[in-house]
Amino acid sequence: MIELDGVTFTYAGEATPTLQQLDLRIGAGELWAVLGPTGAGKSTLCSLLAGFIPHFYRGSLRGKVRVAGIDVPGSSLGEMSEHVGSVFQNPFNQVTGARYTVREEIGFGLENLGVPRPAMLERIERSLALTGLSELAERSPYALSGGQQQRLAIASILALRPKLMILDEPTSQLDPAGTGQVFTLLRDLVSAGETTVVVAEQRLEWVARVADRCLVLQSGTKAAEGTPSDVLSSPEAEGWGLCESRFSRAARAAAAQGVTPQRPQLPHTLDQAVEYFR
Amino acid sequence: MNVRLESLSFGYPGGAQALRQVSLEVASGSWLALVGENGAGKTTLAKVICGLLRPDTGRVWVGDWNAQEHSAAQLARRITYVFQNPDDQLFQRTVQAEVSFGPRNLGLPPSEIEERLIQTLEVLQLEGLRSRHPYDLTPTQRKFVALAAADAMRAPLMILDEPTTGLDGPALRLLDGYLARKRQEGRTLIAISHDMDFVAEQFERVVVMAEGKVLADAPAAQVFGAADLLAASHLEAPQLVRLAERLRWPTRPLTVEAFVADLATRRMAEARR
Amino acid sequence: MGLLLAVAFAVPWWACYLTLGLLVLPLAALGRLFGPLTRTLWKLVLPFAVPILLIQGFFWGEGEVLFTLGPLSFYRLGLIFAAASIGRIAMLGGCFLLLSMTTRIDMLMRALVERGLPNQALYLVVTTLQLVPRFEAQAHRIQDAQRARGLETEGSIARRARALVPLIGPLLLASLMDVEERALALEARGFSRRGPRTSLVTLRDTPLQRWLRLALWLLAATLILYRLVSWITR
Repeated sequence: MIELDGVTFTYAGEATPTLQQLDLRIGAGELWAVLGPTGAGKSTLCSLLAGFIPHFYRGSLRGKVRVAGIDVPGSSLGEMSEHVGSVFQNPFNQVTGARYTVREEIGFGLENLGVPRPAMLERIERSLALTGLSELAERSPYALSGGQQQRLAIASILALRPKLMILDEPTSQLDPAGTGQVFTLLRDLVSAGETTVVVAEQRLEWVARVADRCLVLQSGTKAAEGTPSDVLSSPEAEGWGLCESRFSRAARAAAAQGVTPQRPQLPHTLDQAVEYFR
Repeated sequence: MNVRLESLSFGYPGGAQALRQVSLEVASGSWLALVGENGAGKTTLAKVICGLLRPDTGRVWVGDWNAQEHSAAQLARRITYVFQNPDDQLFQRTVQAEVSFGPRNLGLPPSEIEERLIQTLEVLQLEGLRSRHPYDLTPTQRKFVALAAADAMRAPLMILDEPTTGLDGPALRLLDGYLARKRQEGRTLIAISHDMDFVAEQFERVVVMAEGKVLADAPAAQVFGAADLLAASHLEAPQLVRLAERLRWPTRPLTVEAFVADLATRRMAEARR
Repeated sequence: MGLLLAVAFAVPWWACYLTLGLLVLPLAALGRLFGPLTRTLWKLVLPFAVPILLIQGFFWGEGEVLFTLGPLSFYRLGLIFAAASIGRIAMLGGCFLLLSMTTRIDMLMRALVERGLPNQALYLVVTTLQLVPRFEAQAHRIQDAQRARGLETEGSIARRARALVPLIGPLLLASLMDVEERALALEARGFSRRGPRTSLVTLRDTPLQRWLRLALWLLAATLILYRLVSWITR
């Protein structure tokens, strides 16, 4: 699904590259989490995978970028949008303003893609149901709360049935309930084989629960890659600037104080922690 | 600066009733976390306290001031409010201009403004960014610039709306350090947060809101130990509390230190048997 | 629009009032818009009506005088001319208001797009209309932030006006950033995709509507021709 070879990208006007010599292989039907501190290049990677780099953001791009079988630099945003769906951080700015109701807002993308009307109606209903927005279908997108607007953005992209979904910190403005909904939804979609997901995130507890594999970025280069357990339990993990869950922090502290023996695999989810501290 | 809220009610025009008879007292120098799901009324309450919104009924006392008799700008001398989204709060062309905007409105002499500027930027590690445009900075840096701009007002009461969202590891540590200083300075602080782990670690007192009402106003340990309360307000307990519950411990540790201490105690007790 | 204007001037002026009374207002009542329509129409026409009446009435200069007010005389022909002009304006205004109050602008645009208007035009019109509440929300947020940092925005008119000045720069900047992020969101929804587009909403075009449109065209053409002919052969 995704092939990156030696990708280096520097934004126009910047001196240093934001991504350096990045190699990546992501297969179809997987849920990947991209981790790293601010400025590590997570958003840049998301923009690249969606085609916004190089077609929206200017800069110098080197290396091979193939997404969903398309050569990204040689393609166009119009073409990319048919196969790749993007969800960004700010809920308010993803309301296109092109339509008056939630239902029509979801339909906007479908209209652009030329989906026949019966299929459109069915897909819209499904999107509304999956994101819990069915009761708000006739409201104006501007009359929704931030969390609801974010769910609307996700619903709109879902309806397009993209082969690949890229989400850039989609839950940062949501409350825990909303966050849980989004992650559960993403996991269900990938498990049902409907799409491949790449999500940039800070919340490690959820990442550990739902992601198949993780990619850790540090200053634009790949610092680690693997399953959440392997990556997060790595001895270098502390230096990566991630927001560790309290589970692993407690495990580290307990080991440091000699209360528990040093163990290679640290707990990152509640279940893992229960096992660890039993 | 103590704050007293008497039976506040507020409804958005043409919309929902956001606050229903909310009463609260915050003693000077004390800290309080305001929690609840989206739409519970937390941000509305904060805006009413700052004078950005006027309540339909009820009164707000900020120190000896009746908030309704003062404009939001006047109240800014006593309360600073840091918005959840820094981009809503940044409107100057340089970090320097941003941070000195508040002090200038207070009518302070330039030397004082400069001194506050230097100090605030230093505490939040923003010194090198003085002449940069806020929108050229990373989201984390922007969040701290907004915090610095509010901090420079040196108001006795601070309200922080979701201070931890979007922050990575190092930034969270920086925030912890900043809060520790505020504690030392004796500032009164109200934080609105979804991050239960953050709340558990930093706040002794938690106020739970749901549908515009105060459901509970109690010590953190009590709030996080009450399963039905959390369920009613659609909240999740902090990670360590959930862990302790699953491990069937009688205690509910709120911090990593407390957890490790409880663990050590139990291990020793087991070893003796 | 041009057609409407042409018709407005083609018909004898009294027909305008007739149209207003027999067509526009009853239609408005049918759509439960009688109150809003008449109120807006009143506000629209009055600023024109009063000056026209006064100027034409008092300065016509010839013909029968209806009454005098000190040195000024009010002429009957002036009154008629004023009534004619006001009638045309009122009819035009009434029709236009009826149109804008009963038609959803995006439906109108969709119909136009079906007839060949570029797709982007639909987007432009609808978003521009929704721009104002968006702008308003943005301005509100920025001003709240400024108030929270001590900028006085309440009080005298002068002070409130002064408080708008620091609002301009940030509002423009925020709007630009907003535009960029929204452009991204649009791209993500296939906005720049090349290829056929479909429509969620179907515009029902019944035979009745088609006949009505034809009849209206014919009627308008006839009236204009009639006027032209009678004007030429005067």
